[in-house]
Amino acid sequence: EMEDAEFEDILDDWFIESLKTYKDLHVYQLEHPTQVLEWTSGNSVCVAGYSQSKNEILELRLPLKLLADENKSLCAERDFKVSHGGFTDGPVRCLTHIPGTRCAVTNDGLSSDLQVWDLGGEESDVIRRTGSIKGKRSASERGSRIAARPSSAPQVLHGAQISDVQLTELASGETLYKLETDSADPLSSLQFVSDTVFLAGCCNGSVYVADTRTSAPPQLSHSPSSAESVIWWTDAAAGPHPSSRRVIRVSSSGQAVVSDLRNLGGAGCQAQLDVQTPGRCSQVKVSWAPTLDDCISVSGFSGVVQIYNTRLWGAEPQEARPLFEHRGHAVSSQQTDDSVPTFVTSHIWHPERPRTLLSAASDGSVHVWDWVDPNRQGGSPTP
Amino acid sequence: MPEIKVTPLGAGQDVGRSCILVSIGGKNIMLDCGMHMGYNDDRRFPDFSYITQNGRLTDFLDCLIISHFHLDHCGALPYMSEMVGYDGPIYMTHPTKAICPILLEDFRKITVDKKGETNFFTSQMIKDCMKKVIPLNLHQTVQVDDELEIKAYYAGHVLGAAMVHIKVGSESVVYTGDYNMTPDRHLGAAWIDKCRPDILISESTYATTIRDSKRCRERDFLKKVHESIERGGKVLIPVFALGRAQELCILLETFWERMNLKAPIYFSTGLTEKANHYYKLFITWTNQKIRKTFVQRNMFEFKHIKAFDRSYADNPGPMVVFATPGMLHAGQSLQIFKKWAGNEKNMVIMPGYCVQGTIGHKILNGQRKLEMEGRATLDVKLQVEYMSFSAHADAKGIMQLIRMAEPRNMLLVHGEAVKMEFLKGKIEQEFSIDCYMPANGETTTVTTNPSVPVDISLNLLKREMALGGPLPDPKKPRTMHGTLIMKENSLKLVSSEQALKELGLNEHQLRFTCHVQLQDPHSDADTLHRIYTHLKSVLKGYTIQHLPDGTVIVESIVIKVSSSAEDSNTKVLLLSWSYQVKTWTLFLEAAALPGVTTKLSSRHP
Repeated sequence: EMEDAEFEDILDDWFIESLKTYKDLHVYQLEHPTQVLEWTSGNSVCVAGYSQSKNEILELRLPLKLLADENKSLCAERDFKVSHGGFTDGPVRCLTHIPGTRCAVTNDGLSSDLQVWDLGGEESDVIRRTGSIKGKRSASERGSRIAARPSSAPQVLHGAQISDVQLTELASGETLYKLETDSADPLSSLQFVSDTVFLAGCCNGSVYVADTRTSAPPQLSHSPSSAESVIWWTDAAAGPHPSSRRVIRVSSSGQAVVSDLRNLGGAGCQAQLDVQTPGRCSQVKVSWAPTLDDCISVSGFSGVVQIYNTRLWGAEPQEARPLFEHRGHAVSSQQTDDSVPTFVTSHIWHPERPRTLLSAASDGSVHVWDWVDPNRQGGSPTP
Repeated sequence: MPEIKVTPLGAGQDVGRSCILVSIGGKNIMLDCGMHMGYNDDRRFPDFSYITQNGRLTDFLDCLIISHFHLDHCGALPYMSEMVGYDGPIYMTHPTKAICPILLEDFRKITVDKKGETNFFTSQMIKDCMKKVIPLNLHQTVQVDDELEIKAYYAGHVLGAAMVHIKVGSESVVYTGDYNMTPDRHLGAAWIDKCRPDILISESTYATTIRDSKRCRERDFLKKVHESIERGGKVLIPVFALGRAQELCILLETFWERMNLKAPIYFSTGLTEKANHYYKLFITWTNQKIRKTFVQRNMFEFKHIKAFDRSYADNPGPMVVFATPGMLHAGQSLQIFKKWAGNEKNMVIMPGYCVQGTIGHKILNGQRKLEMEGRATLDVKLQVEYMSFSAHADAKGIMQLIRMAEPRNMLLVHGEAVKMEFLKGKIEQEFSIDCYMPANGETTTVTTNPSVPVDISLNLLKREMALGGPLPDPKKPRTMHGTLIMKENSLKLVSSEQALKELGLNEHQLRFTCHVQLQDPHSDADTLHRIYTHLKSVLKGYTIQHLPDGTVIVESIVIKVSSSAEDSNTKVLLLSWSYQVKTWTLFLEAAALPGVTTKLSSRHP
């Protein structure tokens, strides 16, 4: 049991250290924890609760001070503004914003059905449910993954397992495409890598790449490991040039494998990540940094978000040290239930600001942080 | 139906000041009397014409309550009290009473002396107005008059800030002023008991935000100070005598100790004296930590913070100085600013809002060239940082407060209804209470359902129970008869007999009579019998008796038949009843005797 004073001290150390290690740092406490963080514009994100019954979806506008570039010092505004809010009947496990619209699609993790929402505009601050999309399965252990088509008319790709993946047009509810495969592997990720090509990552580590324009069978890349109890998560870098399109796969045992999108089975690089409690993780998120070459971020193993530089990785799996660790959630956790330590439920990179991230944890905290690359750090060392 | 009316004064979307009118139980109360800091003309004052077109406000208000010393809550007080005219009681907490006049005088000086305005209150008006103030202690019920009572609660936010509970009879309202639900370094968090007011009135300004932690604000402050010191710069922090200043000092002291920093930190002596004086007076208003510190030693016996001498401003090298006044409008802080402004390595950190007309306000608006006395221009090359440390409750905080007080209705002022629909829905859903959001100048009427608790005598209760029927239920109240006795402050319901006994009166009964004529050739007894039979058939469910003494009794109505003296075919019915009976319905039924024409000659009760 930590004494209050001791707790304050640890907090103090981390905060003092943070003067050098972060450019900006904002710490918020939501009423209820979120598992989803999704950009709805350059300066607003959506969060949503995941308790068993009623929950809130909130659209939060980032603090003006963070976004102000010129008159940053004259701006004192550090708070989130709850610009829109709504109520759901169940948990929200997945939330995807449809680009170019004020529309979002969610899944409750209990079935593969999707709920469609209007995020509201100037005339109202209420987020309203406008419809639903039926999925293949009425009951599903993990629920569906959702990906919004980057351009064109509003369409969503969704499914709970690889054989269920379909592309649905929002307006009509019509199914425009179905992935042809017999496999029943549950999905851990789904994303578009171009306007029509998508990548589906399965929990067992296998990855499928397909094009929604053709009915040709997808390309399959098998799992890097045959170990049964290991779960895998995937992220693809949607770079502008095909040669920069890489895929990273991270397992629940901390193994990380990077490969080229056009040659998934080929030799890429790999590493053994420095994760605290390998094996004990439920919501791992791995993400390529949008503007920093070769950087990836990982969270979900503990209360820490780690950033690695994959350029340092080799063909043989070796232990990798993170370039940066955001320990804010672990250090300032206010959770009273010590049996389940706080863990990070989600994190996202700002699409343009190179080192700005948002992270959320199981204790309801949400942090916005702009970290300093330790390799570029100058000046006096931290005491 | 009893109702409470709430009107935020002001117009349209005006959110710069607080001034709310409440009408409750026949009393009119004004909550806060703020100045709008964004206007230079009369729009900065609340619009009192809503109360009365001309003339003094004394007759229209039972009292005025000020929540705390910020100008957007008390800035128009001397204007209202001395220029519009109000001689009734003005309530505020002790610290507010001590600090208000200082801020008002500062504000007056800036507005009149610096900006040359004329239609403004004078120093004497401030003094006269403060003479009308009755100070409040926390949690102490104050009788404004026989019926109106008020009580102050701790609000946090700034020294002396209070939330106020207003009660008339069994109706009540709580006004929060500005408050915060998380304690900070020198103030505790707001607290109120489960007082269940009919309406909880609060600002909506921060209700749709999620506050960044105080630690991150402090971090930003330390980072900026440290960066300036590291490059050899000087940091000026203009502060008001107390409040944030102490907090920032403790912060810097802790930081200097931790980082083993050597640059000097100074605190101007005027500040020290004033602050110590106030803290001694108001020690109960600060939180535990400060209280402990203060008790153990003098507030300002810091290891790294020393008293400032004006000559130090010219010393070379880095340093941090806390100096008054807070808006750089005069005195020491302005002097230091003038010396340091020309060097870009230096920094000024403004920890709060600055009134228009002050240098503080100008530089926070980005002005880099300032006109000083004697036409001299000052180039502002130093770094200007605006940091807000004020403690406010946010969306989560408002829910916590509602949970604490359990109001029957919620009312939010200073918000745009379309931007608050979600919050309204959230409050209504979670607490099953109505949430009102009047625009400025708009009146919200809330119907209250005051319950008047009354003791009931055991006998009466037993009698009611014996009558059978369903048990009383909040959804289905049951009417009953009794006599209400009000003695001093107690209310008792007893049977009429008991009441008469207690009063020593005899019971009297009123009976009414009327005569009805009808043509009937039969004998008196036969006619009576026919009436009896007829009534029995039409008035089912009523007790009808035919007594041997020649009367028919319907409940308590007595019917007798006699023949008219002039004509034996004309019968006269004598009807007699007591006050309770709804006779006429029965009578009309009775009058529908077949083959009977009736002539009514009656005396109404």
